[in-house]
Amino acid sequence: MIFLSFMNLFRNSRRTLAILLTIALGAGVLFSFKGFIHGVLNQYRDNTVHSHYGHGQLNTKNYRGTVYPEPWKHWMTNRGEIENFLMSQSAVEHIFPRVNFSALLKKGSVAVSGQGQGIIAEKEAGFFHSLSIETGKTLTDQPDGILLGIGLAKALDVKPGDKIAILVNAVDGMISNAELTVTGIFHTGSLDFDSRVFRIQLKQAQSLLKTTSIESISIGLKNYSDWESFAFSFEKKFPQLEATSFAVLDKVYYQHSVDWLNAQFHVIQFIILSIVLLGIFNSISAAILERKQEIGNFRANGESVRSVMQLIILEGTFLGALGSCCGVGLTYIFLKLFLDDQFLMPPGPGLTRSFLISFQFEWPMVYTTLALSLLAAVAASALAGVRVAKMPIAKALRSF
Amino acid sequence: MKKEEKQYLYQIRNVAFSYTLGAHHIQAIHDISLDIPQGALVTFSGPSGSGKSTLLNLLGLIEPVQKGEILFQNQNVAEMNQQQLNNIRKYKIGFIFQQFHLIPVFTAEENVAYFLARQGLPKEEIKSRTRDALESVGLWEHRMKKPSELSGGQRQRVAIARAVAKHPEVIIGDEPTASLDQKTGKEVMQIFDYLVHEKKVSVILTTHDKMIQSYSDKNFHIQDGVLDTNHI
Repeated sequence: MIFLSFMNLFRNSRRTLAILLTIALGAGVLFSFKGFIHGVLNQYRDNTVHSHYGHGQLNTKNYRGTVYPEPWKHWMTNRGEIENFLMSQSAVEHIFPRVNFSALLKKGSVAVSGQGQGIIAEKEAGFFHSLSIETGKTLTDQPDGILLGIGLAKALDVKPGDKIAILVNAVDGMISNAELTVTGIFHTGSLDFDSRVFRIQLKQAQSLLKTTSIESISIGLKNYSDWESFAFSFEKKFPQLEATSFAVLDKVYYQHSVDWLNAQFHVIQFIILSIVLLGIFNSISAAILERKQEIGNFRANGESVRSVMQLIILEGTFLGALGSCCGVGLTYIFLKLFLDDQFLMPPGPGLTRSFLISFQFEWPMVYTTLALSLLAAVAASALAGVRVAKMPIAKALRSF
Repeated sequence: MKKEEKQYLYQIRNVAFSYTLGAHHIQAIHDISLDIPQGALVTFSGPSGSGKSTLLNLLGLIEPVQKGEILFQNQNVAEMNQQQLNNIRKYKIGFIFQQFHLIPVFTAEENVAYFLARQGLPKEEIKSRTRDALESVGLWEHRMKKPSELSGGQRQRVAIARAVAKHPEVIIGDEPTASLDQKTGKEVMQIFDYLVHEKKVSVILTTHDKMIQSYSDKNFHIQDGVLDTNHI
């Protein structure tokens, strides 16, 4: 039966080719769409990680979910011990201790409130490359420098080189202030972030806040996939602290975007598969209807409906396997040859800047595309075959 | 009594059959009763639309018994389930159709061997039966040819070889010589004659052709779905 079903592929080569083309096109479109979405999602992920969060962040337990009147009382005081442990972890490449604080920024008579980040700027400049400098230069080793989000800079009407005053509530309840020089103006693509955040040196921030504690440590890993095991070992070592991944930290931007795109993808995938299924069903139906007499002969010679269906489904399986392999293979070659470079996409929801993305493929995408295309071909064959297989034998033999 | 029952391959009692064609109800067979002996060449003759092909389909167990009773080797066909009917068609009946119904992607040899393989026979048995059957119809030399490379007569002989190779109890042929010329038709009938008288296989054919009827041990003439006893 396997031999016959295979040989039947050569019965009408033009029709077989048409069916294979339908399956291959469907598989190709599905595969390239998966690659495109994967490229977009990876770009979203990279943008989130390399703009401000890193691969994740360390805080004291439940700190992020709680509003404290005096948050600094819940900051980490054992920075040295934590950093020693982090440096011993092979998965960890970068350690970025930070403090976040509210402040009032003043330029002349204009005062704007903002969210300050105290960072070790020289270390962060290399890793957080998605933070684009609109004008001026990024904060590196300037002890009195300040890097402003583009929205904040516009509100204050400042440019690089301008001096602005910063007023901060210190941990002792007093007001601290300093005069800082604008080194540059950044944008990350996130409207909300760029309208309220500014960055100064960690030492400067701790001095203004009058503390030596740190609020958080952002982590840069060697690989995205290392996060789960790292977080597990970290929390085991420091049970009073918690490790939170970038996806949770930036749920609104990253996770919602991922969920939104995935939902869209499932709808489009369903539409593509429906088109493929109908296309194959149409071609296979025509092929099988031409063989009514032959199938009647099979049944007359004792083949059961089930055996005839097995034969038809086997043919569908061969067509599905061959068509989907060709579709995926040729699509991959085509995209590598002609669309391998990154191309510009317009800003996504909640973003203000365009993205450079590329088709990105992984083996599981190959398997799922092959499986879905094969399934569509088999289902179409079964649907087309069942009518003829169940036809009364004499009627099938009389058919033309 | 038992010995007498075994002599009949088919016993047909008061069989009637009707079907609907578009808006028309057609009574193809009216109350036919007859016995078909084992090991004989039996023909059904009659004009087109007389009901002989319908009767042949009933004997081949490819139409359901609507009314009356058909016994195949003393077993009531109406009481058999689908599996039993499939098995009888698979192992005991060989079909030959006017349109041959060969598998176009297979060679002559593969066409003969396919249904033997489906019977679950061992490879060696399939090989020897296929060779014997193709040799008996004089086509062993053409075994590697596909149906499209064979003449009409050769195709029909492949169809006969396919039926013969099953070693069936009965071969049922619906006008098997209708699409052949007189000379090839005679050759085919000589093969049937040989099968009946040398191999003891029963053969039941429908035909319009007087030449075919001349080979039969018994001919039943059917007119408008009724057995014409004057012609028996």
